[in-house]
Amino acid sequence: MNTLKFSLLCIALVFSGCGKDLLEIDPSGSLPVDGAIASIDDIESVLLGAYSQFQNSDYYGRYFILVPDVMSDDVKQNSSANRAKEWAEFSGTPLDFISEEMWTEIYEAINRLNTVINAEVDFPTPEVQAEADQLIGEALALRALAHFDVCRIYAQHYAVSSGSDPGVPIVTAFDETAEPARSSVSEVYGAVIGDLQSAISKMNDDRGSGFMSKLAAQAILARVYFYMGDYSQAEQMANTVISAGDVTLADNSSYFDAWMGTGSAPDVLFEIVMTEADNNGSDALGRMYINEGYGDYLPSDDLRLIINEADVRSQLYKPDSTLGGGDFGWDRMNKFPSTTGEDNTPVIRLSEVYLIRAESRARNGNEAGAVEDLMAIRSRAWPDAPAVTATGDALLEEIITERRIELAFEGHRLWDLMRLNRGVVRSNCTAPVCEINFPNERFVLPIPAQELDANPNMVQNNGY
Amino acid sequence: MNTVLRKTGLVFSLMLLAVAIGYAQFSVNGTILDEDQVPIIGANVLVKGTSLGTVSDIDGTFTLDVPGDAAVLVFSYTGYTNQEVEVTRSSGALNISMEVSSELLDEVVVVGYGSTRKEALTGSLQTLNADRIEGVPLASVEQTLQGNIAGLQSNMGNGQPGANVQIRIRGQGSISASSEPLFVIDGIPVASASLTGSAETSNPLATLNPNDIESVNVLKDASATAIYGARAANGVILITTKSGKSGKPKIRFSAQYGMNDWAVNENKRLRSLTATEYTDLYLEGELNRDRSLEDAISNFNNSFPDPISGLPAVDITPGADGQSWTLGTVRVDNRWIDELSRTGSNQDYNFNVSGGNDAVTYYASAGYFKQEAPIIYSQLDRFSARVNLGIQATERLKFTNNLTISETSQQGMNDATRWANPLYNGFLLAPVIPARDAEGLFYGDHKSFFMGGNNPIGSLSGDDDQEWNMTRIIENLSAEYKILDGLSFKSSWAFDLLNYREFYFRNSRYGDGRNTGGSGQELTRNDLNWIGTQTLTYDTRFSDNHNLNILVGYEAQKSNRRSVRAFGEEYPPNPNLRTLENAAAGDPATSSTTGFSFDSYFARVSYNYLYKYYLQASVRSDGSSRFGSNNRYGTFWSVGASWRLDQETFIQDLNFFDELKLRVSYGVTGNAGLQNFEWLPNVSFAEIDYSGSPGGAPEQIGNTDLTWEESKSFNIGVDFAVLQGRVGGTIEYFNRESDNLLLDVPVSRTTGFRSAIRNFGAMKNTGVEITLDASIIETEDFNWSVGGNITFMQNEITRLDESFRDGTHDRFLRTEGRDYNEYNVFEWAGVDPATGAPLWYTDESRSETTSSISDASQFFIGKSGTPDFFGGFNTSLGYKGFSVSANFSMSWNNWLYDGTGWVLQGDGRFTPRSQTQLVLDRWQNPGDITDVPRFQWGNRSNSNQRGSSRWIHDGTHIRLRNLTVAYNLPSDLVSKAKMSSARIYLRGVNLLTWTRDKDLYLDPEADVNGFVNAPVPNLKTLSFGIDVGF
Repeated sequence: MNTLKFSLLCIALVFSGCGKDLLEIDPSGSLPVDGAIASIDDIESVLLGAYSQFQNSDYYGRYFILVPDVMSDDVKQNSSANRAKEWAEFSGTPLDFISEEMWTEIYEAINRLNTVINAEVDFPTPEVQAEADQLIGEALALRALAHFDVCRIYAQHYAVSSGSDPGVPIVTAFDETAEPARSSVSEVYGAVIGDLQSAISKMNDDRGSGFMSKLAAQAILARVYFYMGDYSQAEQMANTVISAGDVTLADNSSYFDAWMGTGSAPDVLFEIVMTEADNNGSDALGRMYINEGYGDYLPSDDLRLIINEADVRSQLYKPDSTLGGGDFGWDRMNKFPSTTGEDNTPVIRLSEVYLIRAESRARNGNEAGAVEDLMAIRSRAWPDAPAVTATGDALLEEIITERRIELAFEGHRLWDLMRLNRGVVRSNCTAPVCEINFPNERFVLPIPAQELDANPNMVQNNGY
Repeated sequence: MNTVLRKTGLVFSLMLLAVAIGYAQFSVNGTILDEDQVPIIGANVLVKGTSLGTVSDIDGTFTLDVPGDAAVLVFSYTGYTNQEVEVTRSSGALNISMEVSSELLDEVVVVGYGSTRKEALTGSLQTLNADRIEGVPLASVEQTLQGNIAGLQSNMGNGQPGANVQIRIRGQGSISASSEPLFVIDGIPVASASLTGSAETSNPLATLNPNDIESVNVLKDASATAIYGARAANGVILITTKSGKSGKPKIRFSAQYGMNDWAVNENKRLRSLTATEYTDLYLEGELNRDRSLEDAISNFNNSFPDPISGLPAVDITPGADGQSWTLGTVRVDNRWIDELSRTGSNQDYNFNVSGGNDAVTYYASAGYFKQEAPIIYSQLDRFSARVNLGIQATERLKFTNNLTISETSQQGMNDATRWANPLYNGFLLAPVIPARDAEGLFYGDHKSFFMGGNNPIGSLSGDDDQEWNMTRIIENLSAEYKILDGLSFKSSWAFDLLNYREFYFRNSRYGDGRNTGGSGQELTRNDLNWIGTQTLTYDTRFSDNHNLNILVGYEAQKSNRRSVRAFGEEYPPNPNLRTLENAAAGDPATSSTTGFSFDSYFARVSYNYLYKYYLQASVRSDGSSRFGSNNRYGTFWSVGASWRLDQETFIQDLNFFDELKLRVSYGVTGNAGLQNFEWLPNVSFAEIDYSGSPGGAPEQIGNTDLTWEESKSFNIGVDFAVLQGRVGGTIEYFNRESDNLLLDVPVSRTTGFRSAIRNFGAMKNTGVEITLDASIIETEDFNWSVGGNITFMQNEITRLDESFRDGTHDRFLRTEGRDYNEYNVFEWAGVDPATGAPLWYTDESRSETTSSISDASQFFIGKSGTPDFFGGFNTSLGYKGFSVSANFSMSWNNWLYDGTGWVLQGDGRFTPRSQTQLVLDRWQNPGDITDVPRFQWGNRSNSNQRGSSRWIHDGTHIRLRNLTVAYNLPSDLVSKAKMSSARIYLRGVNLLTWTRDKDLYLDPEADVNGFVNAPVPNLKTLSFGIDVGF
């Protein structure tokens, strides 16, 4: 009898573990893909996740802005320069981590956006549908921006051969087995324009400068046309943004204060937000420049010497005696002064739109309008600036110089040089390479080796 | 012992009858018992000089027909001294009492879910007993394994007290899953992976007091491990704690105190530069980048003021030629590393009492252990207590309860190339930067000109904190009920509760907290791991000589972890206010949970015939939450056989072997060392936010088919003992083929992911292990024994679609057909004597050199982190009460990679970081023959290129791991003091290290893959101890 009782007890204990049910454990902090996106709220969450990816220090958080700038003539290296040195010296390789990370992180942003855009969710009411249109519009505009960005840095500029160079893959849906080939630059620009146009048609709300808006998408579209040399569409789109009047230029003192404080830069139409709780810390863009951070990069005299001392923008450079003079000079770039990485990264500012319109007007024959736009930017910063009397090419140069001063260290200079078919000439140079002629295979980053290894259809850039 | 012969009328008459019917044969019977009068099953009885024999049965009885009128019977049983007894027809029933022999073999060994006699093993198992574990002044038990177990590498790449120890049993078995063995303490699989939320390691096994350990059994082949199924592939380490034996209480107290230093001798290890060495280097580096001497001196004076006088740290007088200088007064000469070093110490106190009666046995202990490393601040403290109880409730019902509780506190600093690692930035900080400022505070003004601005002396002297604490309770209750003779049921319930706390504080003046007004961080992890195991065991014998043991069982395990982490910034100026409540700002606290579970069914059948031929088969079905939803359960199995040749007359006739056994096994086991939710395609919402709102994003591609890694292992071995058991050993060959290895298979990054997890790769480890032990002299007063083991092993990646770069500094190119740890790097060719430029070989032919790295290529340089062979040897000498014992470990042809070389020997690449004394050999003038290139600030020559063989060093070494000189006080003296025993000893750990590379500045004991990344050095310890028993 005892034996029987014990056998029963054994069986009871064996099954007390509940067998298979024991194996059902869910992670905290994440949801299984199946069923994770089922409502408008889920779409908003995933869209926020996509915005968050733009903060990445390999993207708008740092390197996407820093790398083209160190490749240009605005930046020189400090003696301790380390992190982006290969790009400043045009000696990078496909194994370099910045090339790998920037590519990877931008495509991760695109995948997050595709998750939003392709979500299969029903929107029960017109109100919810309108909300969804706004969110999906933002996602489309961001996807356009991401494709535009990855194409700018990994493919030859549109101006080099009217977009016929190999561009980058256009990815509009997730497929884990995908091994896409490169579309041409003009195909990528076409997709960018398409996404922007459909974004503009969908968006109807403005959620603040930290989020994509119709106005920001139009401004970015103006920049895309401008890069393509389509000055009439660029002017037209810039006009739409400026005349909308929703955002106006900051005045002299608020302009300077905006740069000096944490958070937003002046005139922003769209920016990537860094908060006290959510920033890149020691990997922030500004800390690559400031003394309290890595302090690896310095403003070149080529740029410093063209800024008038009476111009408030000359105060965006801060004396630092520890640099010890000589080639390294005496001051540091201080547009992103937060020691804790709490400066937002501007993506597009109204001042750029003015300068796009100024240059487009000049090229389209409206020199008076061009001067008006130029002075809107210049005299805001330098109230006593002399009147501009230049015309023709000289006027264009004035506008290009103004653009260089106004948008310095925001990741524009290299693209402007490319757009204008100019090389890089560094007269105040601390790198072994001081002059790079246009066009050059080295003005673009190599496709990372990791992509080439995993994707047989990928073709490396010439020169790598 | 003399045999007692008894006559019985019956036997006598039978014998008479036999004679009467003319057979020259008679029958003998008897009983064979051990010292405690317990019947011995399976003892051999043999008529000397013949092949006639039998074995004792379950009651220890035997019957044997003996030819002729008289004979000598030989009684033998492994672990007992052979006995010879003369028998005649008139001998009655024999009563044989066997004595335990003092030979090499232990009789009963712990195996998975039970125990067995050593000679019954079909698998590969090796034991380390308490005498090798007790009193070793190291924090955790795995540290004692190195050199003591064939086939086992126990690598201590980090001397931080309480750091994790890497264990590999028969090589690296995995690429991206765990290669660590399963640890089982008193039957409970326990957590052994590091607990920290940061880069340092915190070893959960350091919570266990090594002095409470009775034995450590290392299970190596499938026959031994397969009962652990999906967790067996990397081997299993069974730890058994001490239990009481019935008898009067035995009380034991032991104390030990010692001092420690770096295991690398002072004349070889890296040191900081002096102020004059640095100043010369600084100026040379400036001139070499074409700065004027005047500028260089002015820069130096600007950067390095003496805070007391306001004058430069070193007076420099320029020479007239603008190329030379003389140094005057030195005001600051701060050798950071010297200041960070100290003589460490260790203390170990243990008290235990054990005993019991027929109904209850007990072992209770309390211990305190403290170790201070030779780097200031770095230490570990452990209080532990244990009660192991055995209760024989009724004749059939027995309970055991093992309970241990311990509190372990560690403190120390970061390792690797982090600014807060004192053994990294202590070299890089210029010696002309003072440790203290004019006010006597630890200096922090260099933060404005020196990267990171850390002051490691101040940081480790109380300005900062970095502490880890573990509280662990392991409770294991089991009940065993004997249902019938031979049939018993056992139910075990175990709980392993581990509470881990981590606290960091960084001051606001310098270092990592300088930009945030100081910063603090708290992390708490609570692990609850429960396991219920139910087993039914049946032991039987049929048709006289067939013995069978069957085990079936069910086990359920679940492990949960809850972590809470919080950060604070902006602290008040008072340096004593450090907890997060004092912080004015900070990130929000976060918490998370994770866990895993196993649902397991297992069985084992052990059979033998005549205690001569053994067969064992085991099978286990494991389900785990770690496996993909399409592949939840896997089945693992093994078969093993052994043949005790020493029981065969043709071997006995040789009169040579006291023991000879052949074992062979094959089986399939699994490695479930996967991440908890690695298989799950998911959208993460963890710590993803934007502009103050939470967000989500696809996190991993996942793989619902994901399964365990599989290991097919074959083992063949011979155990032998000769010369009356005074020489014994084991020789084994193994072939371990790992398949379905987890690989992060790269995908096009345009998918938004880097890789997808797949069961894909395969790897093979083959090797030969030899273990030998000999007792050379064995007399009453004097004995001398030697022993050793050696393992020759080869690793090969056997399936990998495409090679991939791996490891820090990309120093590996994992490639099919290659050793896993073979370096693939740029091959350093020294320095061009004409220019001081670095040189590399352009390709594998090594026929051409270049000073431009872009003309060089990476290739397999024929060096690997895996040794050609490794092992250890030991000897012990005893004379009367004195004894000397020594243990050595060795590793041959393993190559180390110095992970910090590219910075600590950066040739000026990082202005104005100091270097080590190795820079003093730098190239300075044309014609200089050296291996250290020209020094130039901002050096762009790539001479410090990561992944270069310049950083690879020979790790071949032999190390005296343990040397103990002990004296047992004479028993008359001891008993006068009312003690039962007393022993004093002097013990040295890592006292001597021989390295083949005479200039090696690294500790040759590195991580399994050869990586050395500025850790706290391994320790050389000298301690004095006393053990007394009452």
